[in-house]
Amino acid sequence: MFKKKVTVKILLLLIASDILETTIHFLFKKSALAEGGFSVVDLASAGVFLKAAFSSPFLWAGLVTVVVIFIIWSLVLSKIDLSVAVPIASFSYILVPLVSIIFLHEQITVLRWLGVFFVLAGVILVSLSSKEKMEQAK
Amino acid sequence: MKQGLLVVLSLIALTSLCDTVSQIFLKSGIDFLNFKPTLNIRKIFKFIFQLISMPRLWLGFIFSLLSLCVWLVVLSKADLNFAFSADSMHYIFIAMASKIILKERFSSMRWWGTGLIVIGIVIVSLG
Repeated sequence: MFKKKVTVKILLLLIASDILETTIHFLFKKSALAEGGFSVVDLASAGVFLKAAFSSPFLWAGLVTVVVIFIIWSLVLSKIDLSVAVPIASFSYILVPLVSIIFLHEQITVLRWLGVFFVLAGVILVSLSSKEKMEQAK
Repeated sequence: MKQGLLVVLSLIALTSLCDTVSQIFLKSGIDFLNFKPTLNIRKIFKFIFQLISMPRLWLGFIFSLLSLCVWLVVLSKADLNFAFSADSMHYIFIAMASKIILKERFSSMRWWGTGLIVIGIVIVSLG
């Protein structure tokens, strides 16, 4: 049996997961910047860096968000198929670069955006193929 | 090629690999228990309890933690927008591992999708 019907509630949950997914990556990036200008070159400096990163509240906020996303996905996947959910949730591939430009002042070339769209198209194809496989098994 | 790009890409490959190993442990644990989807809360809890008492699940957890640590190092060296797109290489490793270790079969559509991800990562790295 296929669960395809995307209700408004599911759509809102998926949009929330997009935004939270983007938030996780933003928070992890912020925690990695906690030790400003520090460069990891070997295991010893990696230890110092990780100690600083794990002391950052951003990292723990990010991990809490991971748990929240996990709960949202458990809810979503009990209602609709992965092959329907993932393409909607893949909007974070666009959101993360946007957040990087706005809040982290990163620069993104046109070529890089092109690459992002290739990755996004690939992710959507991979998730659609999970449906194909299940239909064969039926 | 920008200096350091190779280092960053290798680190992203490492975090993706750790992630893949962790997923394979989790999946093989779940497959081993042969759990049938149910709404019976007691059965679900029993399943979760059996799952977390499996050593391979903890091995998976250690690899997850390792993956997070390497990921943080990546983020300290690279722009978020680049790292995030390049991290999709875990799709490639998961496809290979599913094929080789879990002996899953998949359609041409999945290969096309994985191929597009590879092309995308190459373009993102050039950009």
